[in-house]
Amino acid sequence: MNIIITGLITGSMLALLAIGFSLIFGVARIVNIAHTAFYMVAGYIIYYLSIRLGLNVILSMLIAVVAVTLLGLLAYKFLIDPIREHELAVMIATIALALIFQEVTLQIFTGDYLSVYFLIKGYFIIGGNKVFYQQLLTFGVVLVILLVIWFLLMKTRLGLAIRSTAEDREVANLMGMNESRLAMITLGISVALAGVTGAVIVPLAVLSPYMWTEPLILMMAVVVLGGLGSIKGSFVAAYILGFTEALVTFLIPAGAFLKGPVALSIMILVLLIRPEGLFGIAFEEER
Amino acid sequence: MLLEIDHLNVRYEKAVLINDLSMGVDTGELVSLVGPNGAGKSTSLRAITGLVAWEREIKRRSTAGEIHIEGKVTFDGQRIDHVPAHEIVRMGLVLCPERRRPFREMTVLENLMAGAYLQKDKKKNQDTLSKVYDLFPVLKERSKQISGTLSGGEQQMLAIGRAFMSDPKLLCIDEPSTGLAPKTRAEVFEKILQINRLGITILLVEQEVSTVFKMTKRNYVLSSGKIIAQGTGEELMEDEIIRKTYLGL
Ligand SMILES: Nc1ncnc2c1ncn2[C@@H]1O[C@H](COP(=O)(O)OP(=O)(O)O)[C@@H](O)[C@H]1O
Ligand SMILES: [Mg+2]
Repeated sequence: MNIIITGLITGSMLALLAIGFSLIFGVARIVNIAHTAFYMVAGYIIYYLSIRLGLNVILSMLIAVVAVTLLGLLAYKFLIDPIREHELAVMIATIALALIFQEVTLQIFTGDYLSVYFLIKGYFIIGGNKVFYQQLLTFGVVLVILLVIWFLLMKTRLGLAIRSTAEDREVANLMGMNESRLAMITLGISVALAGVTGAVIVPLAVLSPYMWTEPLILMMAVVVLGGLGSIKGSFVAAYILGFTEALVTFLIPAGAFLKGPVALSIMILVLLIRPEGLFGIAFEEER
Repeated sequence: MLLEIDHLNVRYEKAVLINDLSMGVDTGELVSLVGPNGAGKSTSLRAITGLVAWEREIKRRSTAGEIHIEGKVTFDGQRIDHVPAHEIVRMGLVLCPERRRPFREMTVLENLMAGAYLQKDKKKNQDTLSKVYDLFPVLKERSKQISGTLSGGEQQMLAIGRAFMSDPKLLCIDEPSTGLAPKTRAEVFEKILQINRLGITILLVEQEVSTVFKMTKRNYVLSSGKIIAQGTGEELMEDEIIRKTYLGL
């Protein structure tokens, strides 16, 4: 039971992160290593506003998502956009960005573990296991957000433009889609998703300035397993990895330490056996 | 003239791709631009639709070699040589690109809707869509199919249909018959004639000269980035040198 709950929650969180990461990679070929660092920043903002300033937690979450999105857009405008056509330089810039976030957080909040209260207290017992209402809430909210994202991508004009640009930005251009503006919008959505992930997970997580590295590796494994650039792939792979994780943690003694290695092994195996991933597109020459 | 190209030059680094090209297309015409492989036909279309300039911006940012564009392009009475590609479409100059390039992961209908991206008037959109379905009944049958799984001929119909959805005044079509079976080729050419009869001006780039010359009244022959001849199909076929050297007939 614990495996199922943990698997579902980890899987959902990874799905949110991986979809955001995939989106901006697909549209602008930006490998945003700082993606999970934005998620961490959101967590700390919520902590600061709700615990230190005593603001309402839900209000703090909303502020955090908005703030992180703005931060992402600023970083895009001044750091990433000017070097956007150098994929490697972009990657290095985002690594730097993640490290900056880490160091700044370390300076402000020190390296102590911090946490935020549950939004709703209490639990019920199924099959001898405690299930916290907070866990259910988190899972429910994540599902709603995944639905919203699906709707946005599949059913709206903006979503059509995002998917078109992700597939062939030159042809998208020919249809009147403003590729550089779409890249900016997509980055906003992507970082907002990272912020939202931080917000929904923060009541269940422990904050530390290094908390971005572990989900980063897991998220990359998800993206590789699902197929780079494939949203559907990210979704399925996220749950596969979420459950694998939960299994490893619960079934193997000291399994928690194996999370990273297991994810990395999956990633390497996929790269060796099926580099395009479960649903990936074998990338075509752009022209 | 609906489209007027005046002394267009395109250089990639030192390579001259388009060399002092001047040509024009009048409203309602079906004009072809023919020539051997590598002559610069696609580059010409990409230059007038703003894609070369777009590529130049990308290269500038990545310092991967410089592209130079010179010359004047006028469309529907307005200079467009400094208008970005995604705004040129809005003016009614639309390119159906080489190699068809459907959005392979999307359904046929989604592809068509992508073509209609700028058309916010839902009613007009539906009208255009039914025109496309009339022209290409196969697209209607397959509207829910993922376009990557269509046959080559169907993908070409889709590419033309998608460009049609952008509501063109002038539709440029780049090598629609390449790689298709003879029967499908004939069908594609027939559709192009039908579109022209609907009042849409067409600039057709092709290698399949013998068929194309039967469809057009005026043609330009391009070689090494230069227009080396123009005229009716008959006139061009009479010239032994052009026929043998540039048209390969
Ligand atoms: N992106 C590019 N960079 C450099 N050279 C190019 C590029 N695209 C095309 N060329 C060259 O320009 C010439 C004209 O190409 P193109 O316009 O595609 O010819 P066509 O469509 O008539 O076959 C060719 O010699 C080709 O190799
Ligand atoms: Mg060509």
